[in-house]
Amino acid sequence: MAQTAEDIHEQYPLDGAALRLAADGTPTLIGLECGDCGTKAFPPAPVCPECMSENVGDLELSDRGSLYTWSVVHVAPRGWNVPYISGYVDLPEGVRVFAHIVGADPAELEMDMDVELTTAVLGANENGPVESYAFTPVKA
Amino acid sequence: MREVSVIGVGMIPFAKYREKTLAEIGWPAVKAAIEDAGVDKKDIEAAYCGSALGGMMSGQRVLKQLGITGLPITNVENACSSSSSAFRQAYIAVAAGVYDVVLVLGVEKLTKFGGGTLPLEKEDFEVTHGLVMPALYGMRARRYMHDYGLTKEQLASVAVKAHKHGAKNEDAQYRNEVTLEEVMNAREIADPFTLLHCCPSGDGASAVVIASAEKARQFTTKPVRVACSEVNSGKYMTGFRDMTTPEITVRGAKQAYEEAAIGPDDVDVAEVHDAFTIAELLYYEALGFCGKGEAARLLEDGETSIGGRIPVNPSGGLLSKGHPIGATGTAQIVEIVRQLRGQAGNRQVDGAKVGLTHCTGGGISGFDHGACSIHMFSV
Repeated sequence: MAQTAEDIHEQYPLDGAALRLAADGTPTLIGLECGDCGTKAFPPAPVCPECMSENVGDLELSDRGSLYTWSVVHVAPRGWNVPYISGYVDLPEGVRVFAHIVGADPAELEMDMDVELTTAVLGANENGPVESYAFTPVKA
Repeated sequence: MREVSVIGVGMIPFAKYREKTLAEIGWPAVKAAIEDAGVDKKDIEAAYCGSALGGMMSGQRVLKQLGITGLPITNVENACSSSSSAFRQAYIAVAAGVYDVVLVLGVEKLTKFGGGTLPLEKEDFEVTHGLVMPALYGMRARRYMHDYGLTKEQLASVAVKAHKHGAKNEDAQYRNEVTLEEVMNAREIADPFTLLHCCPSGDGASAVVIASAEKARQFTTKPVRVACSEVNSGKYMTGFRDMTTPEITVRGAKQAYEEAAIGPDDVDVAEVHDAFTIAELLYYEALGFCGKGEAARLLEDGETSIGGRIPVNPSGGLLSKGHPIGATGTAQIVEIVRQLRGQAGNRQVDGAKVGLTHCTGGGISGFDHGACSIHMFSV
């Protein structure tokens, strides 16, 4: 994955520990699960935002969820491929993930439709394409 | 706690002042507020300056132009709520008896960024992944349209109303009326928003002088009482949240109405944070001006236009007056004070005795909004 994109995010890693890729490229989103109070969150963090415990571990999140809402973005900072679809995806673990929605005609999107995790090229910088996780409608 | 009054207000027309520095943008608003208050600059015991992106020592940079230095100056950053949060700090200081006369200013120069969407904090996960403010509000709008049957025409009519009011305000960045067709056919920004659904980028400054009620009588026979002062931060929510209900505003409004012992039915005029068209509708409901799902009808019935039951954003609001982030909170207070004094000219809300300002913002992951400030005023 291209992990540096000065135009888009300067020195910060785009996905960091939030995205794990298998050898065959299959993506998994990683959240936080608190070992003490059970809070689940995304992205992962070293401390629980509910009980302040540092006894937190990685939570492998489901690769399917439902599309809570979306917007087709035409104006964005330099580096993103516009237009793109930004959305919020609700996962069965009870966490909501901000994501690009790819492989879909905006006219085909529906509230609460099933979407699944993928990866996609979302923009570019001087180092080349910028790739990240995204969701796409589940094909019937 | 002592009673606190606003005794002076001032602002400059919101516009694009590319050739001016932040300090040059700021001082005329401060001078106007001091002259309006009738105080000597030596009477000012402390100053609070709100600016979101103005950089270090914004308050000192502005106030040195007028030789208002050597006093305690505190700079406050709270995104769109910066100067309304600064106002609250000033209010607390005067109410607590620490100072008698305090200056609050808000100042911002967004043209230094060259246009486009508001620069957000790059450390934030969603921002690094492409969240922009128009899309955040656009996603709220889409969900609201789905859940409550709001139409694109109804949404666009918010901008028509805003510009109708703003056209009467000589301090507004855009003083032109717009038609429903013009709103709907403007350039696309983030659906369902076109350009005219979004507040413009620009520069501006506004300032307010407050005093203890006792001290205020030395300077004016028409003080405007601060009926309540409230600021909240959003709640970080890791799970699902209803994006059609701005919880921070709902929570803040409840506190504000209790503190003021004034209900939403008693509010004669309000300035609310209409950064995007959907925002105004969400805040009608959150502030209790109507029930959930009833905002579009309230607008269509003319209740929130000047002449209606509860005129909202007679200044033109953020959509038409403009939104130089840090200057917005005190500019809302300037408008409400002018309305309550009967100095609002051809956009005057007749007989306004109670006014409300609502300023919220800050796009960071997991929050409805980062900050929200609500103030109420009465005469």
